[in-house]
Amino acid sequence: MTRSALTRLGATAFIAVLGCAPVLLLATGAHAAGKPPYQTTRKNAGTPNSSQVVTGANGQVIRYGNGAITYTNPSPGLTQLGEALFQENCATCHGVEANGVPAAGTTGAFPNLVGLGSATIDFWIESGRMPATNPRVVEAVRRTPRLTHDQALAIAAWINSLSPAYPAIPTVHLANANVSDGAALFAENCASCHTIEGIGDALAKSTFSPSLRHIPATQVAEAIRTGPANMPRFTGNLSDYQVRDIVKYVTTEIEHPRNPGGFGLGGLGPVAEGFVGLALGVGVLALAGFWVGERQ
Amino acid sequence: MSDEQRTPVTLGGLSEDDPHLQPASAHPKRAEAIIAVTMFLGLVLCAAFGACYWVNAAPWTLGATLGGGLSFLGIGMAAWGKYLMPRGPFVEQRHPLAASQDEREAFVGSIVQRGGSLMKRRKLLGGLLGGGLGIFSVVAIFPLLRSLGPLPKGTLFHTDWRKDSYVVDQGGRRVSVGDLAVGSIMTVFPEGTEDTDRGQAVDQTVLIRVSNESFTTQKGRESWAPMGYVAYSKLCTHLGCPVGLYEQQLQLLVCPCHQSMFDVTNGAIPNFGPAPRPLPQLPLYIDAAGFLRSQDGYNQPVGPGFWERA
Repeated sequence: MTRSALTRLGATAFIAVLGCAPVLLLATGAHAAGKPPYQTTRKNAGTPNSSQVVTGANGQVIRYGNGAITYTNPSPGLTQLGEALFQENCATCHGVEANGVPAAGTTGAFPNLVGLGSATIDFWIESGRMPATNPRVVEAVRRTPRLTHDQALAIAAWINSLSPAYPAIPTVHLANANVSDGAALFAENCASCHTIEGIGDALAKSTFSPSLRHIPATQVAEAIRTGPANMPRFTGNLSDYQVRDIVKYVTTEIEHPRNPGGFGLGGLGPVAEGFVGLALGVGVLALAGFWVGERQ
Repeated sequence: MSDEQRTPVTLGGLSEDDPHLQPASAHPKRAEAIIAVTMFLGLVLCAAFGACYWVNAAPWTLGATLGGGLSFLGIGMAAWGKYLMPRGPFVEQRHPLAASQDEREAFVGSIVQRGGSLMKRRKLLGGLLGGGLGIFSVVAIFPLLRSLGPLPKGTLFHTDWRKDSYVVDQGGRRVSVGDLAVGSIMTVFPEGTEDTDRGQAVDQTVLIRVSNESFTTQKGRESWAPMGYVAYSKLCTHLGCPVGLYEQQLQLLVCPCHQSMFDVTNGAIPNFGPAPRPLPQLPLYIDAAGFLRSQDGYNQPVGPGFWERA
């Protein structure tokens, strides 16, 4: 009879689940907590040590940094091109002087860009958030950049020439990065908003923290050092070496999650996992109930 | 099995050797042996749970022994009912709601008599089940002995922040005035507690730098945030989650658990969500060497409300 086959299947599934339970308990209970490495040095956190700065003929900062991150300003030769591009693409909102005062607008409605380092300008343009599609949205979203890499550098060069500032555009040297330290630092500093899976989450008042998947290393470092929009800036509390480790973690482990449990379920966390657990659990309970109630 | 044996009958008036009263299993002896093994395992595991609890073994052993013990007893009970009880099928005809006195006495008599005889027929299983449940009922009282933890006494009222405590980061380094840029946040502790459970639990504090000018979060707190360094307890006043989500343009601290939002510029008053009270603010000052230190401890208990809190 098919019923007895079903009965046997149900009983097998029930016993298999019961047999797995102690293994699961063991796996979660045996987790050992290691002490994460916190070797904060507060030197050279996005701003230069004097010994490491390379300056040009006019005293402008060309490059600074160390073995973890090199910060480079775009070539001053791009300034003229940058100004033209700015007037064409950005001045409608940010004003012809980049001070946040548009020609026919109200003061204070748009950000003043004077005195922001080239990393900030580069991040907003190269992540596709600027020029904005709709200047009135609460939070600009990442999309395909409208301007090229060279155009972004040119605009950054012009704005930096108005009032030179830090940080310059970082180049992260990932070769010696410690991904394990990066994971610990990520959990401590980033996961509260971006979630431990790095997929982002809703925040206050229609804002949200974006997903960290598919983001170039330079932009990860720029975001950490400049704090775009509502994100806090991480400056003195993270050294360049720690930022490098975080960037390594984000561009490897967050980018390619391993999902040791088999299914990532979109990294949505306890809600998605709860639904799956409910479906499987109720199914197993139904099979067990069928076995108990079935008579010969 | 013949059709006659599958015909539903009423329970009353059957003879002892009626096929409807035979065990459901074709091999009752074998079934009884398997069930006995199952129940014995359940009994042993329940006893093992008691032993594990008594010697304070690792949590997973408690879960495995208790879960396993109750599971095996449950499987044994279900299998007993399924394979060893009379196979039936029985029917019970509808009858007037109140039966006559004689019928009720006869019913009680038959239940007691037949139930007793059925139990007597499986003395081993009855004994094992009774033993297992008996041991479980004793060990179920154990959690009252220890698992509720020590009484908190006065520890809920005070943190380890004192007058002149140095502000240190997770790694124990003292935070000095140049460390944070405007718009930065870090989690800090009073020096010496950053590695302790209690420090991590109750002393954790968010340090935010909001602006370079002197900054007052509320009347009476004029000197509490030197050079824009403002510190609030990281424990949500709702249920104690870490309030670590800082939105620097909105100047909000957001609790990840239930989305309470605290206004950083106005004494961390909650302006959304279930949190009932503002986050307590830690008064800071900058000493001559440029280190951040606390003027005093928190002036109120941190974290969620509790019974004795005023």
